[in-house]
This record gives sequence, structure tokens and C-alpha cells, in this order.
Amino acid sequence: MDSSDTNALKMDFVSSEALKESSSMEKISMIVDKVKEGDLLVIEGGLTPAEEAELIETTMREIDIENFVGIDIYTLEKDKSSFFGLSKKKAIGITIIGPANVMKTVKKRENFLSMIANLGDSGASLH
Amino acid sequence: MPKFLKRNFLRNIFNKLIGKDKKLKIGLYGHPNSGKTTLANTMTNDWLGKPIGLISEIPHETRRVYRQERVKIEYDDVELDFDIVDTPGIATKIDYKNFLQFGLSEQEAKERAKEATKGIIEAIKWLDDVTGVLLVVDATQDPLTQANITIMGNLEARKIPFVIVANKIDLPEASAERITSVFPQHTVVPISALHGENTGDLYQAMVEKFN
Repeated sequence: MDSSDTNALKMDFVSSEALKESSSMEKISMIVDKVKEGDLLVIEGGLTPAEEAELIETTMREIDIENFVGIDIYTLEKDKSSFFGLSKKKAIGITIIGPANVMKTVKKRENFLSMIANLGDSGASLH
Repeated sequence: MPKFLKRNFLRNIFNKLIGKDKKLKIGLYGHPNSGKTTLANTMTNDWLGKPIGLISEIPHETRRVYRQERVKIEYDDVELDFDIVDTPGIATKIDYKNFLQFGLSEQEAKERAKEATKGIIEAIKWLDDVTGVLLVVDATQDPLTQANITIMGNLEARKIPFVIVANKIDLPEASAERITSVFPQHTVVPISALHGENTGDLYQAMVEKFN
């Protein structure tokens, strides 16, 4: 995102296909690089627990106190049938990751996520 | 069977179960200010007669891992001998400005934030070493946070047994039921670490879960 345009929010939507060939390290680097630039990422599917832990670790290393204070992550789950539909499990449908200072207010209910982004003096609402 | 023989018998079975060389290391994990160190202090006070670390209302008071070796708890004649690993609270963000409201200077707040980032990395690294976990959740807050989900996901993936501790039930806004309803498949024990309320239930759950 152009750093001079502080009232704009860039959102990237990434399909699971696009990440299929990426290694965990590539995924995490891509996420942290984009979020550090101020982008909001919406990813189809989720990260593995090990990738989530690695993402938190990488984020902590990248926090520079003044400009980048970390990330916020939210997920929306969906039902996933397995074993010929006999058992139902929850799977992550989409993952939303953004800069912590931008994702100000997030309300989450089952099957619904509402977020208000804080962009300098203005605000943007995403539902 | 006399009590002391029964105790030795159970201890021997327990030692065989865990293997002689395998040392139990119980990690206390959770958000900043969920009460991990308060609980660690309650446990070490109860069983060793001394506290493990300092507590504070300012988040990220614990910024490095503290370890207390050889804590023995006993429940129903079964002893659990383990090390307590008190870890810094795990979060996905740290803004030094949040510390200013607690009266810290800007320099102190920035220093605390820097140390906190390192503490979180250390806490995550310790997931490779702990053999059991008490996930301490503030019962006055929403338990469905990324930090809790990440911790639990990693524990499940690594097959590390854990007990969810619904802490701060002494506060009127606390709801242990909310935690139980969100994580029905896991053992949830409501306690007040500060007042030592229900800690007997927790020790029982630990003996059952970590044996």
C-alpha cells in the first residue's frame, strides 16, 4: 500500500490453491510482509497449529515498537463431513489477518465476523 | 494394605507408567494477565511453602520462563512429582502505549514491550519441552482467542495432555460455563488462583490427566 495514502485499506484475497505449493516458511513470510505494509489478508482455509505458532514467533521478531505492533487473526469455521459423512468436524473456512493497529473492533459470532478498520482519522467497516 | 505401602505401590506404578527417566514438566500457558504466575505461586506455596515469581496488574509482568523443580502434589494417595514451567503470556500483538496507562514511563514501556516479544518467543519454544500443560484462561474474558486456539492446536498436534484452568471465578463477571461450552471436549476446572478456591479440584484433575 502506498504509505502516503493513510486513509486507504488494501485487502488481498488468497485462494487455498494459491498457497497449496507454498512451504510453511513461504506462507508466513508472505503474510508478515503484507501485514507489515498495512495490508489486510483474507485467506481461504487456515494455517496448521505449527504454522500459527511460527507466525506468532515471526511477528514477535518483526515488532519494532514504533511502527509495527503485531497482528490480529480471526477465523470463520465451517462444518466438514468426514468418513462418508458419518462424523462432522469443524474446519477453518477463511482466515483474516491484519495489522493489530488497523483491526480495531472485531465481533465474532458463529458464521459471522464483523470488523471495523481504523485508518488514521477515518474508519472503514467490513462485514 | 497400610497407607504408606499403598502410596509406594501407586508411586511405583506411576513411575513405570511415565518411565524412570521421563521427568514431568508442567507448563503454565495462557494470555498475559490470565493468572499463570498467581497460580504457580499458589501451587508452590501449597506444596513447597514459597512463591515462584512476582505478580502485577500490568500485563507481561512475566517476561521470561521461570522454572521450579521438584514440586510434589498429592491427591487420593497418589503423588505427582513435576517441575513447574511458568511462561510469559502469549499474544499476537504488543503495543507499548498500553503500558503507559499503568504509570510506566515511555522508556520503561518500550523496554517492557521489547522484553515481552522475546518472552513470547521463549514460551512458544518451550512447547517442545513440556510434558503437560495448564492452560490458564481468564474466566472474565472471551476464551476464543487466537492465542488460546494456537496453544491448544499445538498441544493437540503434539499429543501433550492439558487441563484448561478457568481462573478468576471470584470475580462477579466471571463465567466458567462460557469456557466449558466453548471447549466441551476438554477438561475445564474453575478456580480462583488468588484465593486458592477449588485448587483441590485442579490438583485432582492434574493427577488424573498427567499420570
